Amino acid sequence: MSSKAFQILAMLGFVFLTGWAHARVPLETRADRGEDFVPAPAAVDAASLGFDALLADYYWLQAVQVAGSQQAVDERVARHLGRLVDVVTTLNPHVGHPYRFAAVWMTHSRAQVLEANRLLERAIAFHPDDWRNHFYLGFNHFYYLGNYPAAADALEAAMDLEGSPGYLPRLVARLKSQTGDIEVAEVFLRQMLAGTDDPQERVKYETGLDEIEIEHKARFLDRARAAYRALTGRDIERVEDLVTGPHRVIEQLPDPEPEAIPAPLRRGSVWQIEDDRIVSSYLGARYEVHYSHYGGQEGALFGEETNRPEASAPEDDVREHAEGEGA
Amino acid sequence: MASLLRIHALATNTFREAIRNKLLYTLLGFSFLMIASGVLLATLSYVEVDEILQDMGMSAIRFFSAGIATFVGIGLIHNEVDRRTIFTILSKPVSRTEFLLGKWAGLTFTVWLQLALMGIAFAIVSALAGAPLVSDHFLAIALIGLELMVLVAIATLFSAFTSPMLAALFTIGLWMIGHLTRDLHALAQQSDLESVGLVGSWVFQLLPDFEVFNKTLEAVHGLPIERGEVGLAVAYAIGYTGCTLLLGSMIFSRRDFK
Repeated sequence: MSSKAFQILAMLGFVFLTGWAHARVPLETRADRGEDFVPAPAAVDAASLGFDALLADYYWLQAVQVAGSQQAVDERVARHLGRLVDVVTTLNPHVGHPYRFAAVWMTHSRAQVLEANRLLERAIAFHPDDWRNHFYLGFNHFYYLGNYPAAADALEAAMDLEGSPGYLPRLVARLKSQTGDIEVAEVFLRQMLAGTDDPQERVKYETGLDEIEIEHKARFLDRARAAYRALTGRDIERVEDLVTGPHRVIEQLPDPEPEAIPAPLRRGSVWQIEDDRIVSSYLGARYEVHYSHYGGQEGALFGEETNRPEASAPEDDVREHAEGEGA
Repeated sequence: MASLLRIHALATNTFREAIRNKLLYTLLGFSFLMIASGVLLATLSYVEVDEILQDMGMSAIRFFSAGIATFVGIGLIHNEVDRRTIFTILSKPVSRTEFLLGKWAGLTFTVWLQLALMGIAFAIVSALAGAPLVSDHFLAIALIGLELMVLVAIATLFSAFTSPMLAALFTIGLWMIGHLTRDLHALAQQSDLESVGLVGSWVFQLLPDFEVFNKTLEAVHGLPIERGEVGLAVAYAIGYTGCTLLLGSMIFSRRDFK
């Protein structure tokens, strides 16, 4: 074989090899394929060669892009975000918002909440004067873990810090008296909502507040129901019995959907009796103090150190309020 | 006094030679581009925007000035040998130590000048973007200047006895190790073997510790830079540079140019 023929054959061989290999190279990155690769924080820190802050920014921007590109942050994405923020805050513990960013999303399991709390404790170590980190830690203890004493301790630490809201002492008192209820959750959620500009975070808190609004209305109907029973000696058969007939106890049923929902987005929800409880078909369940749509467990979502007392029966509320609110 | 004048003359000549190097302008141009691109990068985040902008700027300054110090520094002596001009210089009443010191001083002045230009670009971009600028930003940049002084000394040392390619590899290697020595030291101290900890301490003392000069994170996040630490960094830079140049001078004095 002449040398020229060999060269042409070799060239064809290399072209074929290149084309074959290139056609098989995945065009998506590991993250695109859902592998969510994030290196170990200590490894990135060691390899940063003094460019810690720049690498921290890089991973922070990745976290922002990951959260922003999701319709909803599910457990897998939240875990990925947690890892990214762990790298960011290891490389540059002086950052502020990323700690709270992680805490907002890492709420899908007890392990995630505990990990978020670990990051918040790191935030507190590096920003001891920032009341917001204490507040978010308190929120996690109260809302997800149901650990009221820990929540009270976290908020107590925030109380005297500059810029902290004036209502914190009252919130601490309520938590210490073990009377955490939807009012406490509402205060927490309103503060979280006021403290963020992130559209996805806002939606999350607004959803929580909408649920609380519906729970307020449902409790109002519970009280009306108790008044109906006291008046007639029997229970209602339908929720509408409260506003119709000779024994009606209220003028009209409250809106079963949140007031803020615009007309085109309304679902035509109704009040109904399910498992002997009045519920709005908008939610399909009662709010049970904590974030109910994670399965509707009563009390803390992932708690095992819960010191919360037994939830008071709706009838107890009625005895306190039935005379006041339209019943 | 006469020796200082000779070093000054050599340094001036080295500076003139260095600023004619096209590589310097290429790296300087890229650094300006990177500093300015921080504005775009920062817009990807909805928080910590000023910090991202300034992290990017400071990192660009550190990275490109180290690049200039290394790649311009490694050719300093080799070029003189290659063009045979070293024979003309050394035939005059100039010692090899003075020659080496003149080269180092000229290049250090060159990298300090480009560092100042990068600092000005950083300040302009920060001001235009509305990011806060305080004296600690300039202190952090000045500390980068000390890191460059040591790095130029290391580049000069290696260029005194080896080829530009090897000198580049050694200088870059030491620069990288210089940012890792604290981690290596910490790792060695965790060992159960006392000897490993001891060797780790010696290596830590011997190799450069460039993290001494890295205060960019503090500057960007508004954390105070301890003046005492700055003083120690100055002393460390002078000491390490002196040792390196002395070693370079001893090796260079024995070098045969035939």
